Amino acid sequence: MNTTRAIEAPAIQLRGLRKTFGSITAVAGIDLTIQQGEVVALLGPNGAGKSTTIDLALGLASPTAGTATLFGEAPRTAIAAGRVGAMLQGGALLPDLTVAQAVALIAAAHKHPLSVAEALERAKCTEIAKQRVSKLSGGQAQRARFAVAIVSNPDLMFLDEPTAAMDVEARRTFWQSMREFTDAGRTVVFATHYLDEADAYADRIVMMAAGRVVADGTPGEVKAVVSGRRIRASFDFDWTPDIEAELAELPGVRSVEHRGDVLSLVSDDSDAALRTLLSLHQDVHDIEVTAHSMDDAFLALTAAADAAPSARASLPSAGPSSPSVEPVETGPAHNSALIGDRS
Amino acid sequence: MSIAYLGLESVRQLKNVRSLVFTFAIPLVMLLLFGGIYGANGAVDKVTGLPWIVVTTVQMAGYGGMMAALGQAFTIVTERSLGWNRQLRLTPLSGMGYLLSKVVAALAVALLAIVALIIVSVVVFHSSLPFGSWAMAALGLWLGVIPFAFIALLIGQFAKPQFAQPLFMVIFFGMAILGGLWVPLSVLPSWMTNIAQVVPSYWLNRLGQMGANLSGDVLEPMLVLLAWTVGLGAVIVWRYRRDAARQ
Repeated sequence: MNTTRAIEAPAIQLRGLRKTFGSITAVAGIDLTIQQGEVVALLGPNGAGKSTTIDLALGLASPTAGTATLFGEAPRTAIAAGRVGAMLQGGALLPDLTVAQAVALIAAAHKHPLSVAEALERAKCTEIAKQRVSKLSGGQAQRARFAVAIVSNPDLMFLDEPTAAMDVEARRTFWQSMREFTDAGRTVVFATHYLDEADAYADRIVMMAAGRVVADGTPGEVKAVVSGRRIRASFDFDWTPDIEAELAELPGVRSVEHRGDVLSLVSDDSDAALRTLLSLHQDVHDIEVTAHSMDDAFLALTAAADAAPSARASLPSAGPSSPSVEPVETGPAHNSALIGDRS
Repeated sequence: MSIAYLGLESVRQLKNVRSLVFTFAIPLVMLLLFGGIYGANGAVDKVTGLPWIVVTTVQMAGYGGMMAALGQAFTIVTERSLGWNRQLRLTPLSGMGYLLSKVVAALAVALLAIVALIIVSVVVFHSSLPFGSWAMAALGLWLGVIPFAFIALLIGQFAKPQFAQPLFMVIFFGMAILGGLWVPLSVLPSWMTNIAQVVPSYWLNRLGQMGANLSGDVLEPMLVLLAWTVGLGAVIVWRYRRDAARQ
């Protein structure tokens, strides 16, 4: 990618991005290109490095290594041009202002802002415009912050766990105003740890764990990794490579593990897998079938990232599974852990 | 740098009633108290040749202006702890622009404090001085407040929220006493008077007196205050660059 200033420059381009705080590595090498118009969920558990990645992309933190550009330019340039809005964690509004005043104050700092009324309207804040920020509920405060974030009429929006303090109704309203924003072809990156939210509102999910991108694909592709059920059972037979191979052949099975006399299978078709398992092995007991949680998926994907790259075979990968989850200094491969083909 | 932002930020701070009461109340009470004690009989201060009531008014207006400017330290510390300046960094406003907006706001609030205290003095004590003299006194005090706006920025940059208050108190009381803003320096021991020559609050007061007198050698106070302003400005810029490099 040498097109640094093309008109269709990617909204976000991160290359070899690393950030360490003392001995702690928050971001361990991220290469990510997000095109204009994409709605991307940054999905991952706490401590995955989502917030730090956003800070680096915005130039609020400077990377230990690597570069971040927005629309082919330094983040600061894109921000100064009013092309970037963000709702960050720990970015509270001044409590003694009203919502409208807070929006007006930020608008005054921008060169070509929306009118305050329009920003309030788009963020569904018109009824709370005259309320003091300190008196807002969690969901209202987030909406007010969204109004502040869109007042520059940005082309790109970062949202760091935007719905964290919201109830169901507030969430619905929030995503509705978000939809209106993205329908105009704008780019949105939001961090979340809710898979359903990522699934419903993103057209691409970038999964992070331990400072790395561990999966990158459409919601369908990522859900395939996360979905499925885990079958856990005790067994009395001797564990042999043959049996392990046989279990791996059960319907829909994606992984097989055992610890002591307890085996654990992850299957996309747990009913069929369980029927076959029981018909093959009468001596399996204490069976437990649980939904394969997000945590399981993260753990599996992180473990895969830490181990040899071939361990990524557990992903239902059809695309070019480039084994580039290791630190990026190794080469120009810029889409780490790609599930679908996006290059 | 957005003029609209500077204006709105200053207006916002001028409307912040709570901190304004704090800024005005103490010097106002002291003005009414000392004005009543020293000034009512029309006595004249031998050192400056000004009526006592004028000397007291200049002292208290300087005190109010200094307090208003230093108060920006709390604004900055609070905004930093809330994350408001993070929000501002997503606007075209630069970090230096943010600091500048605080200097402008400090000077706006200080001017209001100075003018209000002079008006109270004129109304309550009928302290007689030509309008031009009052205007020059106010201008002198206002210029003298600039180093305090810079001190406020520095406290705002360095202090954690829990240390801002004590740091403010030490600097504030030290400056008020050494500068002769509470009690005339003539009643203090001579060693303190000597120290006073280097503190900006002393020259703030002197500039106000010279303005009221429409005479006096303004070069010395200007140079001392300029030295403070440049020195503090250099530390602020150094600290700002270091913060920026550390992120």
